[in-house]
Amino acid sequence: MTESLALYIERVIEFSPRLFDSLWETGIMLFFAMIAAILLGIPVGTLLYLTADSRPMANRFVNRLINILVNIIRSFPFLLLVVAMQPFVRQVYGRATGDPIAASFPMVVIAIALYARFVEQSLMEVPKGIIETAQSMGATNWQLVWKFLFVEARSSLVIGFTTAVISFVSYSTIMGVVGGGGIGDFAIRFGYQRYETDIMYTAIVLIIILVEVFQWLGLKLAKKLDKR
Amino acid sequence: MIRLQNIEKTFYGKETNLLALNQISLNVEKGEAFGIIGESGAGKSTLLRMINALEKPDSGMVMVDNVRLTELNRKELRLQQKQIGMVFQQFNLLNNKTVAENVRLPLTLHDYPNCLTVDDVLEFVGLEDKKFSYPGELSGGQKQRVGIARALITRPKLLLCDEPTSALDQNTTEEIVEVLRKAHEEFKMTSVVVTHELPVIKSLCKRAALMEAGEIKDIITIKQSDKSIIQKPYLERAIEVLAHD
Ligand SMILES: Nc1ncnc2c1ncn2[C@@H]1O[C@H](COP(=O)(O)OP(=O)(O)O)[C@@H](O)[C@H]1O
Ligand SMILES: [Mg+2]
Repeated sequence: MTESLALYIERVIEFSPRLFDSLWETGIMLFFAMIAAILLGIPVGTLLYLTADSRPMANRFVNRLINILVNIIRSFPFLLLVVAMQPFVRQVYGRATGDPIAASFPMVVIAIALYARFVEQSLMEVPKGIIETAQSMGATNWQLVWKFLFVEARSSLVIGFTTAVISFVSYSTIMGVVGGGGIGDFAIRFGYQRYETDIMYTAIVLIIILVEVFQWLGLKLAKKLDKR
Repeated sequence: MIRLQNIEKTFYGKETNLLALNQISLNVEKGEAFGIIGESGAGKSTLLRMINALEKPDSGMVMVDNVRLTELNRKELRLQQKQIGMVFQQFNLLNNKTVAENVRLPLTLHDYPNCLTVDDVLEFVGLEDKKFSYPGELSGGQKQRVGIARALITRPKLLLCDEPTSALDQNTTEEIVEVLRKAHEEFKMTSVVVTHELPVIKSLCKRAALMEAGEIKDIITIKQSDKSIIQKPYLERAIEVLAHD
């Protein structure tokens, strides 16, 4: 027992540089996905909300267009999205696989679409009376969004973000299939192709811990922000 | 102060269209406290919303303080709305902001050279001690006081109240009526109060329009009863109502 434990620890230490490299690569992918979700997912989701029927910026055409785009991206099997984007990524970035920045392109696309939908849903939870109040005060749409909607939706926005990031972890592992690096790539290479089962499970446990930490942080922040 | 002429408004639904306002004409004088009463669905809220341009008439003219709202662009409309305070049935406070932040909110949207201070209005509505509380920690009556303070801080020339007491119990209703009456006395703004509760109109307004099915049936001058409303505690009133016939 102690012997096999010692053996296991030895192997983990042996693989740890590659394991940490993989974690680092996953971190890069998550980083780009999170930045995209915040910088673009929030505006797109807000636009989705504002342009719907009987909302302050009601616009059938824009609303339909964004809706269709978001739906297509979200319903596209992610692996196929990755494959479909390869020519584009190669054009823009020079290479399409084998490095976490190249792998981040499809991550960014799914991150925007996924979080935009969550943002729209969070805003829909804000009571209609709040919009009416903002308008009765002569607020601009910009003020309505920043001083009313985001204030009331903030803890829901954080919870949505947490859920989205956890999905990003999952999406990031698919990049391993096309050799995109990251913890998924690691698990496939050592666990699937070389039957280093113990190392693979170690990687999986690390991912689970990562997800739990995100979950815990997100809920804690959301609670702190919620004064209702 | 307010002139409405031949206002019509139809809401177009999937199956039926609803004529919510039918040939409404109305004048409210400067400084007047005007009431609009009628049963639920009569069109009172829609009419009130015309006055601060939250709703556009299909035809007719809305004039507030000698400005024709129906001819303004969106920016000009916002400048009109800025001078009109509004109090809501459901209070519509931001639950994630403190009482002070809620009350200050209108001042963060526009410049108000003659506004009051947060402390002044909170004192006026009797909530000095709740300045740093969140709405979730307040009773219904206290929330409505915050709503009123938020409307008063800009010193509006016009105050619109849509069912200001309809979410409150009877004693709290009387408290809020008292605050609104005091506000009208102190700040001398024109006010329009919409409600289905007759005693509220009776103690707040001098004139009232009676609405039914989108039409104004009558405009009456209200006779104030001599006995001013005495605020009786709930239990006392309960005994009065239950034990006597
Ligand atoms: N935005 C809207 N869309 C469709 N119908 C509406 C809308 N607003 C109000 N109505 C309808 O117009 C009528 C009058 O409504 P409202 O002015 O709110 O009445 P009140 O305030 O007197 O209860 C009601 O039948 C209501 O259902
Ligand atoms: Mg109403």
